[in-house]
Amino acid sequence: MSDIRHSLLRRDTLSAAKEVLYHLDIYFSSQLQNAPVPLVEKGPIELLEEFIFQVPKDRGSHTKRFSAMQELQLLEILCNYFQEQNKEAVRQVIFSSLFSPQGNKADDQRMALLGKLTSMSVAVCRVPVLECAASWLQRTPAVYCVRLAKALVDDYCGLVPGSVQTLKQIISVSPRFCCQFITAVAALYDMSSEELLPPHNLLEMIVSWIFDDPMLILITFLNTPITANVPLGFLDFSPLMGLVRWCVTAPLAYRRKQKAAGGQLPVESQGLYSKLHLSMLQGLMVLQTHLTEKNLYGRLGLFHFDQLVPLVEELGQLCDELNPLNAEQEMELALDRLAQALQVSMATGALLCARDDLRTLCARLPHNNLMQLVISGPVQPQPAHPSLTPGYYPHIHTPPLGYPSLPAHPALPAHTPIPAHPAVPAIPAIPGHPVQTFMPGMAFPFRPMR
Amino acid sequence: MLSSQPQPLPQLSPLELSLQIKSFLSGTDPQHGHKLSPRDHARCSLLLLQCLPPARHAVLEHLRTVFHDSVSSFLSERDSQDALPPSSSSQRRPPPPPSTQGLDEVTLEVQRVLEEFIKLNPRAWAPLISAWSIELMGQLSSKHAGRQGMPHSASLNELLQLWMSCGATRVLMDIYTHCLSTMIGSCPDACVDALLDTSVQHSPHFDWVVAHIGNSFPSTIISRVLSCGLKDFCAHSSPTDTADKRVPKLGSVVGILGHLSSRHGQSIRQEILRMFHESLRPGSKQQRATLPYLLQLAALSPSLLGTVCQDLVDSLKPATLSQLQQHCSTLPREELDNMLNLSVHLACQTSAGAPRLLRFLLDTAMPASVITTPGLAVHDSVREACDRIVRLLLLSLQKQVYGRPGSRGTSEVQPRAVPFLEAMRGHLPELCAEMLRLERKRHLWIHQLIGLLCIYSSPPCSSEALCILLTLAQSSEELGLAVQLHAVLSSSVQGLAQAAVTRSVAQIHAGALTDKCALQLLQNLALVVQCEEGSMGREVGMALSEYLSDFGQLLLHSEPGVCEAACILLCSCPLPTSIPPSQLHILIRSSSHFLFRSMHIRSSSGVSSASRLLLRLCRVSSAGRKAVLNQLVEGALHEGNAGLFGGNRPSSTGPRLGNDTASLLESNSHLGSAVDFSGSVWSVFHAGVIGAGLKPEENSKQLGEEECTENTQSLLSLLCHCCARKGEDGGQSTTLDPEAAKTLAVTLTENACPDVTNSELAWPPEDHARTTVQRDLLIYKCFCQNPLLFQLLHLIAQGRPALCYCSVLLRGLLAVLLAYWEASRHQDSVSSSWHLKASCELVSCMGEGQLLPPALTNMHEMFSLLAPFEVRLLLLSVWDFIQENGPFPQRFVFQSGRGIFTRDFSREGDPAKYMSIVHSVLHRNVDRLGLLSGRFQL
Repeated sequence: MSDIRHSLLRRDTLSAAKEVLYHLDIYFSSQLQNAPVPLVEKGPIELLEEFIFQVPKDRGSHTKRFSAMQELQLLEILCNYFQEQNKEAVRQVIFSSLFSPQGNKADDQRMALLGKLTSMSVAVCRVPVLECAASWLQRTPAVYCVRLAKALVDDYCGLVPGSVQTLKQIISVSPRFCCQFITAVAALYDMSSEELLPPHNLLEMIVSWIFDDPMLILITFLNTPITANVPLGFLDFSPLMGLVRWCVTAPLAYRRKQKAAGGQLPVESQGLYSKLHLSMLQGLMVLQTHLTEKNLYGRLGLFHFDQLVPLVEELGQLCDELNPLNAEQEMELALDRLAQALQVSMATGALLCARDDLRTLCARLPHNNLMQLVISGPVQPQPAHPSLTPGYYPHIHTPPLGYPSLPAHPALPAHTPIPAHPAVPAIPAIPGHPVQTFMPGMAFPFRPMR
Repeated sequence: MLSSQPQPLPQLSPLELSLQIKSFLSGTDPQHGHKLSPRDHARCSLLLLQCLPPARHAVLEHLRTVFHDSVSSFLSERDSQDALPPSSSSQRRPPPPPSTQGLDEVTLEVQRVLEEFIKLNPRAWAPLISAWSIELMGQLSSKHAGRQGMPHSASLNELLQLWMSCGATRVLMDIYTHCLSTMIGSCPDACVDALLDTSVQHSPHFDWVVAHIGNSFPSTIISRVLSCGLKDFCAHSSPTDTADKRVPKLGSVVGILGHLSSRHGQSIRQEILRMFHESLRPGSKQQRATLPYLLQLAALSPSLLGTVCQDLVDSLKPATLSQLQQHCSTLPREELDNMLNLSVHLACQTSAGAPRLLRFLLDTAMPASVITTPGLAVHDSVREACDRIVRLLLLSLQKQVYGRPGSRGTSEVQPRAVPFLEAMRGHLPELCAEMLRLERKRHLWIHQLIGLLCIYSSPPCSSEALCILLTLAQSSEELGLAVQLHAVLSSSVQGLAQAAVTRSVAQIHAGALTDKCALQLLQNLALVVQCEEGSMGREVGMALSEYLSDFGQLLLHSEPGVCEAACILLCSCPLPTSIPPSQLHILIRSSSHFLFRSMHIRSSSGVSSASRLLLRLCRVSSAGRKAVLNQLVEGALHEGNAGLFGGNRPSSTGPRLGNDTASLLESNSHLGSAVDFSGSVWSVFHAGVIGAGLKPEENSKQLGEEECTENTQSLLSLLCHCCARKGEDGGQSTTLDPEAAKTLAVTLTENACPDVTNSELAWPPEDHARTTVQRDLLIYKCFCQNPLLFQLLHLIAQGRPALCYCSVLLRGLLAVLLAYWEASRHQDSVSSSWHLKASCELVSCMGEGQLLPPALTNMHEMFSLLAPFEVRLLLLSVWDFIQENGPFPQRFVFQSGRGIFTRDFSREGDPAKYMSIVHSVLHRNVDRLGLLSGRFQL
């Protein structure tokens, strides 16, 4: 490695960058022939840092930076490289060694270049790069993923007017990237403040993506081995939880923004959230069929009870905050959506938990009829009374008018015997302790969607 | 054309797009392989900007080169035009060279695209584009600054004109202003920040941009520049940071405000004051930093300081001050000290507002008095703080003044200016006046300040201050301040007293002082000379001695007080070893004039001071003595002064004085009236001038007896002192110096009898007296009018042999008396009292002067008991004696034992033959005069 370095030192910046790529390509290709999983050593990464991210290695050497022009050239070179390297494994390892955060000062450069590379690949439709980026998003701590998402959103939804169309078209070439992108965006815009509401055109794009194909949100989940657990601080396997949070908190968050800014409620955004909510529920339904097919229904949840806790708490705070503001309508809507999401996810097997836990969790929320129904659960089927439909709910309150006959309804009896699940412990899950630890180590077939 | 609707984006397929990227990067046409023209290249870059977001930095970088090229071509075209003969410059421009053709068009296109972006998403684009455009302008300005034919960066207007005539820079400027105006409502900080940063980098050449933008958005730029500066200041004000780091941005804040201050000074002032007052309210860290920030800002920019200082001082009301005090009390001590030092430094740098500032500081630092309105009184701690500031200010000024390299005249380096002192220089008189009010503490501070001011602007100022103090000081306490000032300054300023005196004299001469002031000044000077044995008295005295003649002129001042003061001053100031005769004479003349004037106005103090002065002058030299005597006698005999000594004062100098219509023609038609016949036979007739009727009776207003005596005594004693022999002063038994007495005699003679023909000392026979009738009459008249003459003669007689020189007078008077007594038909001589008295005086006088032997002299004792013809007989014998024994000085012999001249009559023949008439008269009236016979024994 050091002899390569010496030869590179004499080159000008751009050709050195080009050459380091070339050398590493050869290096990793040969490594991959020997071992299925190449060991990424320190040497190559340092080379990359020095010659591509322009981090000075010695203290004495002066920093030379690419000009914006050279950087563009470098991006083109990288794009072309990934396009032309047809071995997926090599691409992945190179991408990973280029852009995996190392926790050093080169990370800023790394993220900046990654943002630009991804952005450019979106524009010129370089699928391999996007696929690599999708994997990267899966492998990388969420803080970095959020930065990449931010870069893309800035480029396509903020700076260049109308260019969101370009991004929108990506769905046709790399849905996997889109799925991860949505997850990252949902993590980025968590609606906790006014700045963190998603831009309208972004929202519109995401809704149109998911509405067209609710499967989109499940791609990563279904392509991941079930053994894999999401470590702390990484993105979820699915944007579902994030998007549910959007749908639930949106009415109140926008109301809060309106209160601060004093403007009109953006009606079209609210419409989009409704649409998104529907797509979510449909996505859950699709999940159920998949789980049932795999005989995993009731054994593998999509999200955990733990993830619900902050959502419910946040909702509670928002309600408290907006209570004096005559925001009953919005609160009602938010609670309804939460109740629906809870009900459907429990019914479809995405959420595995006991209603008792839910009851304690939702106790502090304002009163909502639908929520009451959901947390009290359906009346247990009495074999002695065959006249009662299994899905019968006791008339505690007037049933909500909105969903008297949900299409998902027939599916409900399938999961009524919740207490039978050994998966759900009587005590609430300890935070950080994955719920599905009970799962047997059976292989979840790796099943690419396409 | 800008449309309100967003333009449809050019939709490119990914393949087309990558081709565009290639062609943009390589600069060649991807299909044909030829090189892209700059215009096409630029178009390509714009396309990328619209389709490929991550390429925006590269595109902007490329556009930089486009603008650079455009500007270069513009400038070279301009240069080539300048090179052409001037006749062609008025013609249309030649078309630009083909290589750069269309660049202007491209720049306009760039502007359109960018402005479109800014309009659609100002929050994202405006900071980016504004930074880009402003930095590009900075680069362009710096790059071409050194170019030939470029206006100097100081001439902003020319530079602005040039750059705005260039399409590319105009476009950039438009883009930036567009950014700024878009963001002005929300948060222009990002745009202004870029402006500041660039201004730091490209400072002098970039100023035109700042000036232009500042003039377009004055209020925004001012407030934003200030707030950005403050933000930067806060960000760098952690204690670990050194001060020099934050200077650049502050520097550019100062630079920008400096540009704007000429036109928008008012806004700047308001804004800064607003910041100041806002910072006093309790608040955040940023507000706490405001005060140090503003101070720092002012420290960097004198013009800013000048702009703000005055209004700031005005706005510091007691309420504000206590607010400020509360605000400061929360600050850490170190910071407070820094601020204090900085404020003091600023105070030193203040120029325009300096007097106001000083007044404010002093007013605030003054201890509260009963007179102060309760509501307006400042808090004690505020006052203490102010007191401290004043003391620090003085200390700092002192350091600067004494620390200046040039203050001792050792170095040629231009000494550093201290604006505060510069500004206070003009207010020296007010300062002095204020100091003399002797308010406690305050006058000490002002005294110190004046001292510093004087040393600072050494030559003119110190003398001025001293001069003012000397003019204004009215009590010894106040005068003491002047003396103290001199003591402070004398070590640093050479010839201070000299200069002060020169200045005072000049002031007096210029009429710049009122009489009262002049009087005070003279008195003070005299006091200083008399009472200060220290250096000041001596120096002032020496200085004064150079201006004797100037003070001499003051003796003729219309205001008697001034004269007297000048006189006292002259008395007290030391005289130089040698006074030029002209000066001496001027002095003598004026002081004698003053003497008589004092007598006229009955000012005894004036008389005494004038006498002292004259005596002093008289001792200067023999010529001086001569002159003094001369003047005194002349003055005493002057017809205007005759009345002072009991003589007749002629009521009018001429017969026609009363007539309003004095016609030369008319007076010429009266024969003889206009001709001066004095000295000729025509003027013998004393009854009046022919044609004018009888002479009006002389109705002299006699002075009181006492005054006359007093005046006479004063004059005589003065004369006596003047004539005193050297070394014999003051004693009662003064012997007169013969030489002085001779002078007196000669002078007297000349004055009493201007006609010197036939005036030798020797006496002719009595009957020859007829030839000198006219002169004798003049002399007689003179004696009539001036009784003083007899006194003078007596005086002269004591200084033997001086009376000899008065022989003409004696002879003339005697001749007239002889004629009178001859013609007199009275029974006894007592009936004509004046003549009797005159005869007695004459004879006794001659006896005293040893012109007559004692036996002969004694005859005057019986004149009053005789008949007129007997008196005549006796007087005739006197004449005879003198005719025989002429009144010549050589007859006198010096007696070294007694130090006087005496005449030994025993050696001059037998006096007995002159005694026969005396004896016969005695015999004839022996019944009455028998008693006296013993007096006439030889």
